[in-house]
Amino acid sequence: MDHVVITKGLTKSFRQEKAVDCLDLKIKKGDIYGFLGPNGAGKTTTIRMLLGLMKPTSGTIEIFQKDLRAERISILKRVGSLVENPSYYPHLTAYENLEAVRKILGVSKSRIYEVLKIVRLTDVANKKVKGFSLGMKQRLGIATALLGEPELLILDEPTNGLDPSGIIEIRHLIKRLSTEFGITILISSHLLSEIDQIATTVGIVSKGKLIFQDSIEIMRQFAQKNIILKVNDGEKAWRSLLAKGIKSDYQDRQLLLLEHSNEKVADVVRILVEDGFSIYRVEEEKRSLEDIFLQMTAEEQAI
Amino acid sequence: MIGKLVEAEFLKIKRKGFWFLTFLGPFGVIALQMVNYGVRKEYLLRQSDDDWGYFLLNVSSFTPLALVLGIVILTSFMTSIENETNAWKQLVALPVSKWSVYLSKFTVLAGLLLLSTVLLTIFTILYGTVLNLGHDIPYLEIIKYSFYPYLAALPVLALQLWIATVSHNQSIPITAGVLGVIFTYSAHILPDWMIWKWPSLMNDWNEPVINVFLGIGVGCLLYIIGMFDFIRRDVK
Amino acid sequence: MLSVLQSEWYKLRKSKITFILFVGPFVGLLIGLLFNLTIEGEINQWYILVLSMNLTYALLFLPLITGVLASTICRYEHQAGGWKQLLAMPVARGKIFLAKYVLLMLLVFVIQLLYLVSIYGVGMIKGYTDPFPIEIIWRGIIGGWVATFPLVALQLWMSILFKSFAAPLTVNVIFTLPAILAINSERFGPFYPWAQPFSMMYVGGNTDDLFFIPWEQLITVVGGSFVLFFLGGYFYFQRKAV
Repeated sequence: MDHVVITKGLTKSFRQEKAVDCLDLKIKKGDIYGFLGPNGAGKTTTIRMLLGLMKPTSGTIEIFQKDLRAERISILKRVGSLVENPSYYPHLTAYENLEAVRKILGVSKSRIYEVLKIVRLTDVANKKVKGFSLGMKQRLGIATALLGEPELLILDEPTNGLDPSGIIEIRHLIKRLSTEFGITILISSHLLSEIDQIATTVGIVSKGKLIFQDSIEIMRQFAQKNIILKVNDGEKAWRSLLAKGIKSDYQDRQLLLLEHSNEKVADVVRILVEDGFSIYRVEEEKRSLEDIFLQMTAEEQAI
Repeated sequence: MIGKLVEAEFLKIKRKGFWFLTFLGPFGVIALQMVNYGVRKEYLLRQSDDDWGYFLLNVSSFTPLALVLGIVILTSFMTSIENETNAWKQLVALPVSKWSVYLSKFTVLAGLLLLSTVLLTIFTILYGTVLNLGHDIPYLEIIKYSFYPYLAALPVLALQLWIATVSHNQSIPITAGVLGVIFTYSAHILPDWMIWKWPSLMNDWNEPVINVFLGIGVGCLLYIIGMFDFIRRDVK
Repeated sequence: MLSVLQSEWYKLRKSKITFILFVGPFVGLLIGLLFNLTIEGEINQWYILVLSMNLTYALLFLPLITGVLASTICRYEHQAGGWKQLLAMPVARGKIFLAKYVLLMLLVFVIQLLYLVSIYGVGMIKGYTDPFPIEIIWRGIIGGWVATFPLVALQLWMSILFKSFAAPLTVNVIFTLPAILAINSERFGPFYPWAQPFSMMYVGGNTDDLFFIPWEQLITVVGGSFVLFFLGGYFYFQRKAV
C-alpha cells in the first residue's frame, strides 16, 4: 500500500518526560488523517518532528518513502504546513506575506493569487495582516501552506479559536483540497466532532502513545448501541426476564438489554407485555464517538 | 538558495524602519559633530594644525559606539520579526536548510551595516567640506576610519545575532547589547582580547589593521558557533 | 494599588530580572577595577574612583538600562494579548501605569544600591585607606536615582507604545548619546534631562544644596521633564486601544 508518512518508534523526550512515546504512524496516500488527542498529548510535538523542526530522541520518520533526516529539504518541497497558531508578519500585507514565502519556494507569482482565491482572501490581499480576524489569519496560514502545491498538507489544530462558521468554512476547505486536488492531509485536533466529519483515518494519541489507528468506520463500530426499557416495575421485570433466560442489566430503574437484534427486542417486549408489565419506553442509546474517545483516553490515563 | 532567502528577508524588513535606522546611525554620528562644531568651531580648529585629522578624530570617537548600538538594535529588530508570531516554525518548515536561514539574516544585517559605513564615509566628506577644512581631503584616512571599525565589529554582530536568535526573552540580547555598548564606550581601559574594544581600533601595538584581521577572523568563528547552535536547537 | 504592584512584581520575577539588575554592579566593578587613574595629592581616593566609574555608569549605563527594565516590565503584556487580559480586570488603567512605574523606580533604586556596593567593593579590593565618604556618595546614589525619574517615565511610555524591545531602545539611544557631548557644555548640559543622572552623581559638583545640582535645575529640568513624560505616558495609556 502506498504510504505517504510512516514513523517507526518515534520518541521525543524533554528531560525525563516522554512527550512522544514510540509512535508508529501510517498515513495512506489520499487520506484525510485525523490526528486526535487531548491537549498536551504530544500531537504538536509529533507534527514538529514530521516537519524537521524538532529532532526525534529516537525512531525514524519516512515521508514519501524517503528518510526525513537525510532528505529533509526535498521532502519539505512537497509538504505544506500550518503549526499551531498561524505565523505571519503583521506589518506586511497578505500578498507580501505570501510573496516572502514564494521567493523561497520559487513558484510562480500567479500561484499567490490562486491560493488567495482558494482561501477567499483575494479582496484583502493588499491589507496588512495586523488587522485580520483570527479566521482570516488562519486562512492565510493555510494559503501559505498551499503555496508550494504540496502533496501532503499538515494542519495542526487549524480550527483552534475559530467561531462555528469559521470552523465549518475550514472544514469545507479541507474536504475540497482532498477531493479536488487529491492532497493527503494530516489534521490534528482535540475535538473528535471536528475530525469525525472529514477524516477517513483516525489516529488517537494519549500521553504520547498511539492508542488507536484505523479507519473511521472501524472506530464507528465501537459505537455500540444499548436498548433501554422503561417499565412500571423494573426490578420485577428484570427477574421475570431472567427467569425466561434473558440476561439484562437493571440500572437506575431501567432495563438495559445486552442483545440488540430486532427479534430479541421483540421477544423481550412480548414477554413483558404477557407478564403484565406496562412498558413506558423502548429506547436505543447510541454512544457517540465522543464518548468512545473520552473512554479510550480515560482508560489510558487510568493505567 | 541564499539569494532567494536574502530577497525574502529584504521584503520582510519593509516598514520596520530598518532603512531609516541605517541612515540614522551615520547621520547621528555626523550630527553630533555638527552640534560640536556648531557650538565651538573656533576652539576646535585651534586644537590642531591638521583640521581634517582632528575632525576625523572627533567623528571616529563616536563611530564604534554608533556601530555597536546599531548592531544591537538591528539584530533585535531582525529577530523580533520572526519572534512576534513565532514565524521561525513557518520559516524552518520551508524547504530550506537552517544554516541558510541563519546566513541570510546575517547577510542582510551585515549588508545594512555596510551601507551605513558607506554613508558615514560620504557624510564625513560632505560635512568636512561644509566646515571648510581645506582642499586636501584625506580620502584614504576617511575610508579607513569608516570601514576598519565596521570590519572590527563583525564579532559583535555575530555574537548579538547568536544571542538574539536563540533567546526567547528579548531582554537578554538587549541587556547583553547594553553591556557591549558600555564596553565599547570604555574601550580605552579594556584589555585587547575583548571584542568590544576592537571597533575603536585601539590596541597595544598601535596598529589598527590588527583589529580588522581579528574582527574578520573571530567574527567568522563566532558566526560559525552561533550558526551551529541555531541548527542544533529545536524550533519551538 | 498594593495588590497591582504585587502582581506586577510576581510577573516580573520570572523575567530574568535579577540578571538585568546585576549587570549594573558588574559594570561598576569592571570599570572600577580596570580604571587605573592615580592623581597625586590631597584628594580622597574614593572621589577619583567614583568620578571615573560614574563617567560610564551614570552617563550611559543608567539611562540605557532603565529602558531595558521598562521594556521587560511590559513584555508579558505584549505577548499573546496580555494587555487585553490586564486591562479587562477591574482595576483602573491609571493604577496599572502607576504600579508599573513605581516598581520600575524601586528596581532602579536597587540597581543604585548595588552600584554603591560595587564602589565599596572596588575600594576594598584596591585597599583604599582614605575614609569612605558615605554621605557624599549617598547623595550621588539618591541624586542619580531621582534624575532617572523622567527617563523611566519616557521609557515606560515608549515600551507600552512599541511591541519590540528594539524600538524603545532606539528612542533611548537617540536621547542618551548626545548627553556625552552635553556634559561638556556649560550652556546646554544643565538643561538636558539625559545628562542629569551624570550631573546628579558628580561628586565634585555643587555642594551647597542637598544634591549636586542646584534646586532650580532639579525642579525645572528633572521635575519638568518628569511631568511631561509621565503625563504623556499616563494619558497615552488611558487611551491605548488594545
